[in-house]
Amino acid sequence: MSAVSYSQLVWVTLPEIALVVAALAVLACDGTVLRGAAIARRRGVAALLACVGSVAAMLLVGSGPASFHLPDGMLVMDGRTRVVQVALLVLTILTVLLSEAMLTPAAEGVAGGKTAFTHHIGEYFALLLFATVAVLFLVSTQNFLLIFLALEFLSLVLYILTGFDKQSQLSTEAALKYFLFGGISAAFLLFGISLIYGLSGSIDLSQIAVAALQPDPLWMIAIVMVVVGFGFKVAAAPFHLWAPDAYQGAPTISAGFVSSSSKVASFFIFAQVLTLGVFGAAGSGMWHGAAPGWVPVLCVVAALSLLLGNLAALVQTSLRRLLAYSAIGHAGYLLLAIIAHTPQSTSALLYYVFTYALTVLGAFGVLAALEAQGIDRIADVAGLSRRAPFLSACMLVFLLSLAGIPPLAGFFGKFWLFGTALNAAPQLGLFWLVMLAILMSVVALVYYLRVLKQIFVADVPANAGAIHSGLVTRVTLGVMAAATVVLGCDPGLLIRWVVR
Amino acid sequence: MVPVSYYLILSAILFSIGVGAFLIKRNIITIFMSIELMLNAVNLSFVAFANYWNQINHQFSGQIFVFFVMVVAAAEAAVGLAIIIALFRTRKTLNVDQVDLMKL
Amino acid sequence: MHLVLFFIFGGFCVAGALNLLLQRHPINSALSLIVVMTSLAVLYLLLGAEFLAAVQVIVYSGAIMVLFTFVIMLLNAQREERTHGSRAAYILGFPGAAALFALLTFIFISNGKSLGFAVLGPDMVSTSQLSSVLFRDLLLPFEVTSVLILIAILGAVALARHHEPHKDESKTQGKER
Repeated sequence: MSAVSYSQLVWVTLPEIALVVAALAVLACDGTVLRGAAIARRRGVAALLACVGSVAAMLLVGSGPASFHLPDGMLVMDGRTRVVQVALLVLTILTVLLSEAMLTPAAEGVAGGKTAFTHHIGEYFALLLFATVAVLFLVSTQNFLLIFLALEFLSLVLYILTGFDKQSQLSTEAALKYFLFGGISAAFLLFGISLIYGLSGSIDLSQIAVAALQPDPLWMIAIVMVVVGFGFKVAAAPFHLWAPDAYQGAPTISAGFVSSSSKVASFFIFAQVLTLGVFGAAGSGMWHGAAPGWVPVLCVVAALSLLLGNLAALVQTSLRRLLAYSAIGHAGYLLLAIIAHTPQSTSALLYYVFTYALTVLGAFGVLAALEAQGIDRIADVAGLSRRAPFLSACMLVFLLSLAGIPPLAGFFGKFWLFGTALNAAPQLGLFWLVMLAILMSVVALVYYLRVLKQIFVADVPANAGAIHSGLVTRVTLGVMAAATVVLGCDPGLLIRWVVR
Repeated sequence: MVPVSYYLILSAILFSIGVGAFLIKRNIITIFMSIELMLNAVNLSFVAFANYWNQINHQFSGQIFVFFVMVVAAAEAAVGLAIIIALFRTRKTLNVDQVDLMKL
Repeated sequence: MHLVLFFIFGGFCVAGALNLLLQRHPINSALSLIVVMTSLAVLYLLLGAEFLAAVQVIVYSGAIMVLFTFVIMLLNAQREERTHGSRAAYILGFPGAAALFALLTFIFISNGKSLGFAVLGPDMVSTSQLSSVLFRDLLLPFEVTSVLILIAILGAVALARHHEPHKDESKTQGKER
C-alpha cells in the first residue's frame, strides 16, 4: 500500500464532490429559505439544483483526467468508465425531471386520485443525488472494500427511496422486503469477499486475479457466494424475491431509479469483478465436461432468470409487477453477455444495459404520470390511447423497444448481444443458452403486446375523461422516446462510445 | 496455538445459524438480528484471515475491512429500524407472515 | 491456554447464537446476540486485533444492540406466535442451514493444514499501524463512509418521523421543520 496525496484525491473525485455539494445545497435551501413555501416551488428549486449539480458533475467527468489508477485499484478511470459515469448522470437528470409528475398533487375531485406521495421534497432529491454519488464510485473502483461500501451505500439509499411513501402500506412493506433480502445478500457477498481475501491476501481485483489462477475448492464456494450477493442486487432468479414487491410498492419514480441507474452500475461492476478479478477461475458451461468455475454457475442463474422472469410476467395483472418480472428476464439476457466475457460482449452489455435503462425508466415515467389517476392494473389502461394519446405513444415506443422490435434500440441491443454470445469461445457452450434467450424473447413479445392491446384496442371505460400531464414530464418522455428510436435506427451513435 | 481453520469453522457455524434464523424466525426484528449475526460471523473470518496474512506478509486489510463492516452495519441498523418503525405505524404488526399485501 | 480460551468463548458464541434461534421473545434473542458479540470480542483479542475487540464491544454490543433493544421496547414486541409460515420455514430452514454448514466445514477442515496456526506474536497489528493505513492509504473509503452515515441519518429521520396530518399544505410544511 502506498499513500495518495490529498490534493490528488480531491482532484479525481471532483464529480462526486460536486454531487454531494449539490445534495447539501438542496437540503439547505429546502430547510431554510423555502421553509413554508408552496410545494410546487420547493419542488422546482430542488429539481433545478439537482440538475445543475448533475450537469456540473458531468462536465467535471468530461474535463477530468482521461485515465488514472490510484494505488490498490481504489479508483480506476478509463474511457469506458467515463462513458458509464456520464450515462449514469444522464439517468439521474431524467429521473429528477420525471419526478415532477409524482410530486404534483392531484387536482381536486379526481376519482381515486392520490396526493403527492411525500412532503420531504428536499430529502427526496438529496437522496437521489447521493445515490448517484454511490453509483459513480461503484463503477470507478476495482477494490473490494470500495465496491462493498459503494454497494451498501447505494442499497441504503434505495431502501429509503423505496419506503419513502410512509403513509402507504405497500411502500413500507416493499422497503422492508427489499431491506431484509438486501441485508442477507450483503452478508453472502461479504462472506464471499472474506474467502477471496483469505485465498489471495488482497482486496484489489488485479492482485486477486493473479491468485485466482491456482485452483482451490474454496474458490468455488467464494465465487458462488459472490454470485449470490450480486445476483440479489441485479435481481436475477432465484435471488429475485424482493424485486416484484419493491417495484410494485415503491413510489413509481423510485422504482424507475432502482430498475435503471442501479441496474447499470450493478451489472457493470458484476462484470468487472468476474472478468477482472476471478477471470482465471472461469471454467466452462458445456453440458458434458463442464469445468468448475463461475461460468456454469452463471449459466444456471441466467437460464433460471430467463425462464422465470418471462413466464411469470405472462400472468401478472399489475403493470409494475409485469415490468419487474420482465426486468428479471432482461437480467438473464445481460448475464449472457457476462458469461461470454469477451471485449465485444462487454461492449454489447453496455449498449444493452444503457438502452434498457432508458426505456424502462421511460416506462416507469409514463406510469408515474398516470399514477395521479390511480392506475396500476393492466385493466386500468384500457383505451388509454384516447385518454392520453401522447403518453400512450411514448409507452408504445418503450414497450416495443423492451420487447426487441426493430427499428428500436432494444432490437439492436438484443441482436448484438446474442451475436457476441454466439461468437464467444466455443468451449463455453453458449449455443443452447442463446437459443433459450431467443425463445424467451418471443414469449416476452406476448405480454408486452397484451398491454399495448389494452392501451390501443380496448374500449374506453364509460366515465373516464382525458388525462393531463405536466409539460416537463411530456417533454422528458418525448425526448426519451425519440432517443430510443434514434439509437435503434443509428446504433453507431452509442457504439462508438461503448467500444473501447 | 489454535489452528486458523478452527476460527473459520466457528465462523461457518455462526453464519449457518444466522441463515437458519433468517429463514425460521417470524419476528421482523429477530430476522434483522440474524442478519447482524451473519455479519459478525463474516467479521470473525476476516480477522482470522488477517491474522494469517499478517504472519506471511505483514498485510492486514482484513482488519480494516471489519472496521468498515461495523460502520456499515451501524448505518444499516439505523435505516432498518426506521423502516421497521414506519411499517409498524401503518400495519400494527411485527410478524412477517402478516406483511403480505403483495404475494410473491 | 489459547485453545482453552478459544473453546470457552467459541462455546459461548455458539450457545448464544442457538439461543437466539430458539428463544421466542425478541428481547431474549437480543440479549443472546449481545453474548455472541462480546465473546467474539475476546476471540478478536486472541487473534491479535485489539482495536477491533474494543470497537466490537463499544459499537456492536454497545450502540447497535442498544438501538435494537430500544426499538423492541418502543414497539412493545411480543412473543412470536407459531403460524403456518413458520412450520414451512422449519422444514426449509434447518436442512438449508445444516447443508451450508456441512459444506463449509468440510472444505475448511480439508484445507486446514495449509492455513497454519493463529499466533499472538511480536508482529501484532497495533492501533497506530491500523490508523496510519486507515487515514492515509484508505482515506477515500473513509470519506465515503462519512457520506454513508449522513444519508443513514437523513433516511432514518425522513422515514421514522411521525407524519403530521396536513390541513393546508404550505402551512404544515412550515411547522414540520
